[in-house]
Amino acid sequence: MDAYLSGIGWVTGAGFGWGSQGGDCTFPNVPLPLLTRKDVFPEPNQRFGRMSDYAKLGLAAIAFALRDAGLETWSTKRPIGVVASTRLGSLATDLEYHQTVLIQRGGLASPNLFAYTLANCFLGDAAIQFGLTGSSVAINETAEGGLGALRMALEDLAMGEADTMLAGICDLPVPSALSNIITLKPGAVFLVLTTKAPAAPASYGTVSLADNGRILHNCSPPGSLIELVQTALARRAAS
Amino acid sequence: MNEVCICQAAALTALGPDLESLWRGALAGESAIRPIERFETGRYLSGSAAWIEGLPETSRRSLLYPLLERLLDGFGPVPADATLIAASTKGCVDSMERYLRDGSSDLADLTVVTLLEWIGARLGLTDAGININAACASSTIAVGRAASLIASGRREVALVVCMDLVSEFVFSGFSALQALSAEHCRPFDRNRSGLSLGEGGAALLLMSRERASREERPVLGVVAGWGAANDATHITAPARDGCGLIQSVRQALSRAAIGPEKISAISAHGTATVYNDQMELTAFRTLFGERPLPMHSIKGAIGHTLGAAGGIEVALGLKCLEARRLPPTVGLLEPEEAAKGFVSRSAQPIVGRYLLSTNSGFGGVNAALILRREDG
Repeated sequence: MDAYLSGIGWVTGAGFGWGSQGGDCTFPNVPLPLLTRKDVFPEPNQRFGRMSDYAKLGLAAIAFALRDAGLETWSTKRPIGVVASTRLGSLATDLEYHQTVLIQRGGLASPNLFAYTLANCFLGDAAIQFGLTGSSVAINETAEGGLGALRMALEDLAMGEADTMLAGICDLPVPSALSNIITLKPGAVFLVLTTKAPAAPASYGTVSLADNGRILHNCSPPGSLIELVQTALARRAAS
Repeated sequence: MNEVCICQAAALTALGPDLESLWRGALAGESAIRPIERFETGRYLSGSAAWIEGLPETSRRSLLYPLLERLLDGFGPVPADATLIAASTKGCVDSMERYLRDGSSDLADLTVVTLLEWIGARLGLTDAGININAACASSTIAVGRAASLIASGRREVALVVCMDLVSEFVFSGFSALQALSAEHCRPFDRNRSGLSLGEGGAALLLMSRERASREERPVLGVVAGWGAANDATHITAPARDGCGLIQSVRQALSRAAIGPEKISAISAHGTATVYNDQMELTAFRTLFGERPLPMHSIKGAIGHTLGAAGGIEVALGLKCLEARRLPPTVGLLEPEEAAKGFVSRSAQPIVGRYLLSTNSGFGGVNAALILRREDG
């Protein structure tokens, strides 16, 4: 089955952006930007300041991807699903929350932080912010570089579970104690995939799922989700 | 579409080491919720949970590994080509606690990937697998995902393994959210005051009908339908109108190609929080009207096992369909008005072939599965 790639949004150490804005989605080995509400939403947003850094990161990339696809604004809820791949999930928030547990033997445990100790928490924020009522899951995959999330989203499209899906990756930097165990590219990237032909030609091209589970972007197999995004952005810039 | 069969099922809960002990205990109305010995509870709203006896706490590794060893011992051979779909909300959370307390844990346990690799190696699977994290509907969605892969013909075999622990991390969080009951939880009771936590795991082997026949596997039941939806309302509270759950169940009914009148029994999420149970009752009344429909929650017997809940409830649901009986809702004393005609303090007969199993969780997640008895 083929899906149109209609939007790309990202937050990396190089900054944040979305496809139609121009720019590259690169992952330099520098700290992620400290996102403020104004970076992401033009209007006041009461929840954003209370979110964990992990949730802000993922929500921002989803917001930019939807903006790129022309789907950021809405009036009625939409059955759009999301699959997010993460290696560490909410680990940074977990560590921060548990420090509050250790103070006074649990007497000062933070309920707000606890609410963000799930890998899927930012998908709930995205659902609320953008009226997304499709299935929303976070997955941990071993070594597919985000292609597992993309495959799941394509499978959902193929099965008719939704006609528009978001798929992406989201990870904060690896805590220093784990730096010799895990390597990853911190940041978040999300794609909008749809089975509906866009009004304008899709300059990012199409993403296909073969019967054997192989993913193809414009008939070529990407090595990772990041590679797919960089190829799609280059194609758009050249068109 | 291929028919999706469940060919093996195992469960490990605080009621006992296997699915049979869970079934017997649930049917007898037993509860495994008891005082916690694993950590101090003096500063929390509750001092009890349904924890598994005898998990060794001496090693540097998480308690999840001995839990999984017990769960998978005797599970039987799993085809090497099975795709692995795990489901856990917090994985080896006790390792993280130990790391922050005294630095004695294995840091590799802090990533769920380590857990996936362990399960794959333990069972000799070629698939690297994924873990699904969708809060307390994680394993419900995992089963739905496995069913979808098999139904579409992309896979012939899938193994779902779900697990979560009772930990101070989670216990303190629910206490801070004022969601823990000081007493044993009372699902769908008019005086319910919150949930009781539990721990456990389940393993489910799903196969296409054709593959199950070819391997001469017993068929314990069929996954006839599945659905998942976000209610897009609140991070930690359900939508009061049950819109996400209603959407999930309607998807599952559509996938199963049956009407709501075909549902014979419900295994509800039934956490015993005021808002969850009310939301479910609203959704079920919208879907099923006023007709009496046997429904239960297992949470009063084994606690809320978080990401493992849906998988354990599927395993139990297969037993319910086989025996044509739905266990009592442990903890229930006086049903909520809207729950009358649904829940009971006694076991209820199941007349029909379809059981609906639902779960909901933080982040607005809702999921539904429809199981069908194999015979008839």
